[in-house]
Amino acid sequence: MKNLWDDFPALSRKINGNRLVYLDNAATTLKPKSVIENISHFYLNNFANVHRAVHTLSSESTLKLEEAREILASFLNANGEEIIFTSGTTMSINMIVESFIRSGFIKEGDNVLITAIEHHANFVPWVRLSKFFGFSVHFIKPTGRFGTIEEKDLLKFKEFNPKIVSVTAHSNVTGQVIDIEQLRKIFPNSILIVDAAQLMPHEKIDVKSLDIDFLAFSAHKMLGPSGVGILYAKKEHLENMEPFLYGGEMIDKVSFDNVTFNELPYKFEAGTPNIAGIIGFGEAIKYLETLGFDNIKNHICSLTTYALKKLSEIKGLEIYGPMDERHQGIISFNLEGVHPHDLAHLLDEKFGVAVRSGHHCAQPLMSILKQESNLKVFPYGTCRASFYIYNNNEDIDILVKGIKSIKEWFNV
Amino acid sequence: MYNELIMDYAKLQKYKGKLEDALAQEGKNLSCGDEITLYVKIEENKIVDAKFEGIGCAISQASANLMIENIIGKNLDDVKMILENVLLMVKGEKYESDKLGLITKMEDIKNYPMRIKCFLLSWKTLELILKNIESS
Repeated sequence: MKNLWDDFPALSRKINGNRLVYLDNAATTLKPKSVIENISHFYLNNFANVHRAVHTLSSESTLKLEEAREILASFLNANGEEIIFTSGTTMSINMIVESFIRSGFIKEGDNVLITAIEHHANFVPWVRLSKFFGFSVHFIKPTGRFGTIEEKDLLKFKEFNPKIVSVTAHSNVTGQVIDIEQLRKIFPNSILIVDAAQLMPHEKIDVKSLDIDFLAFSAHKMLGPSGVGILYAKKEHLENMEPFLYGGEMIDKVSFDNVTFNELPYKFEAGTPNIAGIIGFGEAIKYLETLGFDNIKNHICSLTTYALKKLSEIKGLEIYGPMDERHQGIISFNLEGVHPHDLAHLLDEKFGVAVRSGHHCAQPLMSILKQESNLKVFPYGTCRASFYIYNNNEDIDILVKGIKSIKEWFNV
Repeated sequence: MYNELIMDYAKLQKYKGKLEDALAQEGKNLSCGDEITLYVKIEENKIVDAKFEGIGCAISQASANLMIENIIGKNLDDVKMILENVLLMVKGEKYESDKLGLITKMEDIKNYPMRIKCFLLSWKTLELILKNIESS
C-alpha cells in the first residue's frame, strides 16, 4: 500500500507533540481530502432538495444522488432499487426489524437466531421487540478462544431451521471475520441478514453470489461522512414490506382515507435524505476502489499479523479473539492491573495513539470474555486497536512501545 | 492528569470493602460499565464511616478514595457543601478550594470531558444517598 498520509490532513496533527497514530478505525475512519472537497464543492455549487422541484439545482442534486446510488449498487453487485439510504447501520437494522413486524414477516412464535457477539445495534432491536411481539430470539454462543465462533457453534442450530438469521460479518470486538458463505450453507432456508458495518471497509461483498437477503453498513467506517448508511435488500422482500418511516417522498397517492406508496427504493426513503453525505459516500467508494479491495484486505491482514505477533510478546497482555487467520483489522486486549480507560488515556496523552476503550457496545460479549479471562480483575471492557489503509507497522511499534512504558509506569 | 498523588490514591485499599449496618447505594458509569457500591454510616447527622466496592479506572478509584477520606467525620451539611464545590470544580467554575483539601489535586479533570464521568462516579453515588436521606 502506498503512503496515503497526504490524502488525510488529520494525520499530520500532533497530539501533545507526538504524531497522531490513529488506531480507532473500527469506531470511524478519517476522511480523505477528495471526499471532503467533493462535499464542499457540492454544497457551494449544486445543493438543493432532491426528487421534487424542476429547477436546475434540484435536478443536479438529484442526478448526483442517484449517481451515488448506482456506485453503491454496482459495488455490492445489486440493483439501484435495492439500495436504500439510511442514517447508518443502526438505523438500517432497526428498519428491518420494525418493518418485518409491520409486514407480518415475524409473527408470534417465530424464531430469530443471532449471535452472542453482536454489537448492540444487531442485538437490542431483536431482543427488545421480541418482548412486545412474542417472537423468540436465540443466541449462537461462541465456544472458541475468547469469544470466537466456531463452525460447530453454528451447526448446533442447523436442524432448528430459524426463520431469520441475523449475524455480524466481522466482530467489532474480537476482530473475527465470520464466513458468510458457510453460514448460508448451514441455513439455506432462513432470511439472512448481515451486519457488515465492520467487514465492508475491508472486503468486497457480493450480495448476489452470497445470497444475502439484507445487508447493513455505514459510510463513516469507510472514509465517508457520518450520518449515512446503506440498507441493501432483495427486491422481492422490499416489494412485500411495509415501510418503517412514513412521510414525504415515499408516497404515491394520499387521500383522506388511503395511502399508496412510491416505487422502490423511494418507498423506504421518507423525508429529505442526507444528500451531500450520500454524494460524499459515493466519492469514498471511488477512492477505495482506486486503491483496490484486494490491496486493502492484504494490507489490513498484514498489519494484523504483525500487531498480533508484537502484542503477544507483552507479558500480562490478554488478547481476545481467534488470533489466527480469521482475526482481521481489530484487536481487543487488556493489560493486567491497568483499567482500559487509563491505558487508552495515557496512550493518547504520552504517545499520540488513539485507541478505543470500553465495552464497545457489546455487553453480552463482555460477560463471555469475563468468564474466560485470566486477569485478576476483569474490567468489563477492553482496549481496542483497529487498523485502516493509512496505518503502517511503525504505528504498531509506537502502540507496543506505549503499552510497555505504561506497564512499567503502573508497575504491573 | 496522572500525577503521583492520584496514582497513590488509586491504589489505596483502606476504604475498599463492604460496611455492615450502613446505607448502601449502587452507582453506574454508563459509558464504560464500571459500577460502584458506596456504603455510608451516619450517626446523629454525621458520616462516621464510609467504604466502597467495585472496580474502575485509576481516576474513579482515586476520586472515590479522596471523597471518602474527606467526608468521614463531617456532618451532612458540610458534605453537601463539599459535593457542591466538587461539581463546580469539574465544570471549571469558581469554587471554594479550601473546602476540598487534596481533592483539588484532581482539578485538572475539568480539561478531560471524556473522563469527568469516571471522576464523578463516586460523587454522583453519594449525591443519591444524600437525596434519599432528604426525601425519607
